[in-house]
Amino acid sequence: MKGSLKDLARRMIAIDRRIIFLLIACATLLPLLNPFGLPIKVSPEVKAVYDYMEALPERSVFLLSFDFDPSSKPELEPQAVALLRHAFRKNLRVIVMTHWITGTGLADGVVSQVAAETGKTRGKDYVFLGWAPGGYALIISMGQDLYKAFPSDYSKTPTLGMPVLEGVRNLRDVNYMVSLAAGGAGIEMWYVFGKDKYRFEMAGGSTGVIAPGLYPFLRSGQINGLIGGLQGAAEYETLIGRKGMAVAGMDAQSATHFVIIILVVLCNVFYFVLRGDKGKKA
Amino acid sequence: MIFLKRQLPLAITFVMGVAFALQYYIPHPVSEEAITKVSDWMKIISGFALVLGIASVFHVHAVKIRRQAPGWGYSGVLFAAIVTTMAVGFWSGGESKADGGQTAFGWLYDYTMVPLQGTMFSILAFFIASAAYRAFRARSPEASVLLVSAVVVMMGRVPLGQTLLPGMQISIGQFIFKIPGAWDITQWLMNVLNSAVRRAILIGVSMGSVGLSLKIILGKERSYLGGGKDQ
Amino acid sequence: MPDQLIPTSAVLGAWVATGLTLFIYSFLYKDNPLFKLGEHLYVGVSIGYSVVLVWYTVFFRLLWEPLMKDIAAHPAALGTYEPVIPALLGLLILTQFFPRLSWLSRIAFAFIVGFGSGVAIPRTVSSYILKQIEDTVTPLITMSANGLSMGVDLASPQSGINTIILLIGVVSVLFYFFFSVEHTGPGMVTARTGIYFLMIAFGAAFGYTVMSRMSLLIGRFRDLITFAGAEYGYATPVLLLVTVLSLAAWELATRRKTGGE
Repeated sequence: MKGSLKDLARRMIAIDRRIIFLLIACATLLPLLNPFGLPIKVSPEVKAVYDYMEALPERSVFLLSFDFDPSSKPELEPQAVALLRHAFRKNLRVIVMTHWITGTGLADGVVSQVAAETGKTRGKDYVFLGWAPGGYALIISMGQDLYKAFPSDYSKTPTLGMPVLEGVRNLRDVNYMVSLAAGGAGIEMWYVFGKDKYRFEMAGGSTGVIAPGLYPFLRSGQINGLIGGLQGAAEYETLIGRKGMAVAGMDAQSATHFVIIILVVLCNVFYFVLRGDKGKKA
Repeated sequence: MIFLKRQLPLAITFVMGVAFALQYYIPHPVSEEAITKVSDWMKIISGFALVLGIASVFHVHAVKIRRQAPGWGYSGVLFAAIVTTMAVGFWSGGESKADGGQTAFGWLYDYTMVPLQGTMFSILAFFIASAAYRAFRARSPEASVLLVSAVVVMMGRVPLGQTLLPGMQISIGQFIFKIPGAWDITQWLMNVLNSAVRRAILIGVSMGSVGLSLKIILGKERSYLGGGKDQ
Repeated sequence: MPDQLIPTSAVLGAWVATGLTLFIYSFLYKDNPLFKLGEHLYVGVSIGYSVVLVWYTVFFRLLWEPLMKDIAAHPAALGTYEPVIPALLGLLILTQFFPRLSWLSRIAFAFIVGFGSGVAIPRTVSSYILKQIEDTVTPLITMSANGLSMGVDLASPQSGINTIILLIGVVSVLFYFFFSVEHTGPGMVTARTGIYFLMIAFGAAFGYTVMSRMSLLIGRFRDLITFAGAEYGYATPVLLLVTVLSLAAWELATRRKTGGE
C-alpha cells in the first residue's frame, strides 16, 4: 500500500506539464461558457477612487493616462472602460493620453467606443492627446504647459482653444488623475514628477503584477486609491452599477485560482510522501 | 581632443545635474522657464533615442540574414513585417481612423498587434501553473510561510474564496469576536505586512538610486559614456 | 442572427487574430515553426508600428510643424529656431552608428543623463524616502476627550497595532539588507524577522502575479469564444483544427527525419 502510494506520488510529480496546461485551459474556458455569478466584495482602496470621482462637480477636469499596451489589455481595459463610463456619467471633462507608444491605438479605441455609447463629443467633452515621448520629461512638460507638451491631439486638431481644455493651462488645473499602469512608466512616475510638484489628486489602476508594490503609496496617501487587476476592475464595475468584462471574467478567475491552489497542495502532499522515503534512505 | 571626448561630456553632466537638482527648490520664473524648455527638448531627443533602439534590432536581424545563420528565414519574416507595417502606416498617414472608419493601419494594429502581444504574455499563465506544481514546496519554514501567504492571497482575491471563507462573528457573553475571512486576512496582509516590506525595499532602492545619481553628476560613474579607453 | 452585420474587414481580422493567437499557443505543445512565425511577426509589427508613430509624433507634430509655424510667423526671431537644438542633440545620438564619430553621442547622452539625474534626486528623496518614513513613524497614541488611546483594530490599516507591526517590518527588512554589520545576536533575530516578512511579501506577490496572468488568459479566451460564433465564420474551431493538423504533420515529418538520420 505504502509502496503504491509512493509510486503514485513519483508518477504525479513527474506528470507531463501539458496535462496541467489542459487543466488550466478547462478552468478558464468552462466558467466563461457557464458563469456562476458570485458576488463581488468591494475593497476600501477601490471605493476611495469611486467616492472621489462621485464627489467631483460637473465639468471638472479628469485626466486618464493609459500607461499600458495590449499585453495588459485584459486587466486594464475593463478598468479604463469603467472609469470612463463613470466620468462621462458625471459630465466631467476627460483628457486621455498614453506614455506607451504601442498602447496608442488601444487607448484611442477604448475612449472612442465609450464616448460613442455615452453620446460624448470629441473636443467638447473629451480629448485624446495621444502619445508623446519623454516619460518623466513629458509629465514635467505637461506640468509647466500642456499646450507645449501636446500642441495637437491624436487626430491632429490643435489643442489650444479646444472647449474641453478651457481654463486648463497645465497639470495644476487637473482636478483628478488616474494612471492605469502596467509597469515602470506609470503611477510612480506620475506621482514623483507630477503630483509631488503640481499638487493634483491622483489614484492608480494597475495590473496584478505591480499592485503589491503600490500599497506603500496608498498607505501614505500619495495615491488616494488603487484599482488592482481584474478584481479591482470588477469591484469598480459593481460600484458604478454596470457589469462588464471584469465581472464576467471573475468566475474564471476563481476557478483558475482554485486549480492552482489544489495543484500546490497536491504537489506538497506528494513531496512529503516522498520526503519520508528519502529520509529513511539517507 | 581628449577634452571633447571626456571632459566636455562630464562637464555637461555636472552642470545639467546640479542645475536641475537645484531647480526644484527655486520657484523663480527663470527657473520654471528653464525646466519647461529643457523638458520639451527631452521629448524630441527621446524620439531620436527610440530610433537607436529600433535600428539595433534591424542590425541584429540583418546580420543573421546576411550570414544565413540558423533561423534566418524567420528574420526575413520579421523584416517583411516591419516593412509591411511601415508601408501601411505611412500610406494611412499614421492614422488608425479616418472618415469615421478604420484605416488599414488601425486594422493591422487591432487584428495583428493586439492579439499577438496579448497572447505572448497570456501564455505565461500556463507556465506559472506548471512551475507552481513542480517547484512550490514547503522545504523549509521560510518556504512554508511563502506558500501559506500565496495561498491566502489567491483565495482572498477571488469571489469564490471570499464566499467559501467569509469570516464570522461569535458572541461569548458581552464579548464579540470577529473571525476574519479570506478577504479580511488578505486585506490586512497587503495593507500592513506587504506594505512594510515594499516600503523598506523602496527606501533602500531609492537611497541607492540617489547615490548613483550623485556619482553620475560628480563624474565617478561613467558607464553612460559608452566605454572606451578615453572614458 | 446578429443585430448588425459584421463588416468583412472585421471578419477577416477575426480570422487573422485567431490564427495568430493559436500559433502562439501552439508553443504549449512544443517549440514549432508556427510559434516562431507568430513570434517574429509580433516583433516586426511592433517595430513597424513604433517607427510610424515616432515619425508622425516626434518629427512632424513636435518638431516640423511647430518649427514651420514659427518660421512663418517670426522668421527673424532667434527663439523661432530653438527646436533645432534638441534636433541636433538627437542627431548626435545617431552618430553611434558611425564608429569614428560615435564619441559625439557622448555629448547628447551627457545632456540626457545629467538632466535625468538632476531632476530625479530631490523628487526621489521627497517621494520615496521622506514621505515613506513620515508614514512609518505616525503617532501610536492619540489624545481625545476620553484621554489617551491606542487603536488595536487589526482590520484598520492605520491603527496603532498595525503601525507597530509596520515599523517592525520596515526596520527588520532594512536591517536584513544591511550587510556591513554581521547578523549575530540581536541582529540575527532582527534579520530573521526581516526574512519572514520578505517571505510573506513574496507570497503575496506570487498570488497577485497568478491573478494577473490568469486575467490575461481569460481575456484571450474571451476573444477566441467571440470569434467562434457563426457571425465570424466559426474562425476558432476551424483554425484550431488547422493548427492541430499542422502540428501533427510537422511532428510526423520531424520524427521521420530524426528516424531516418
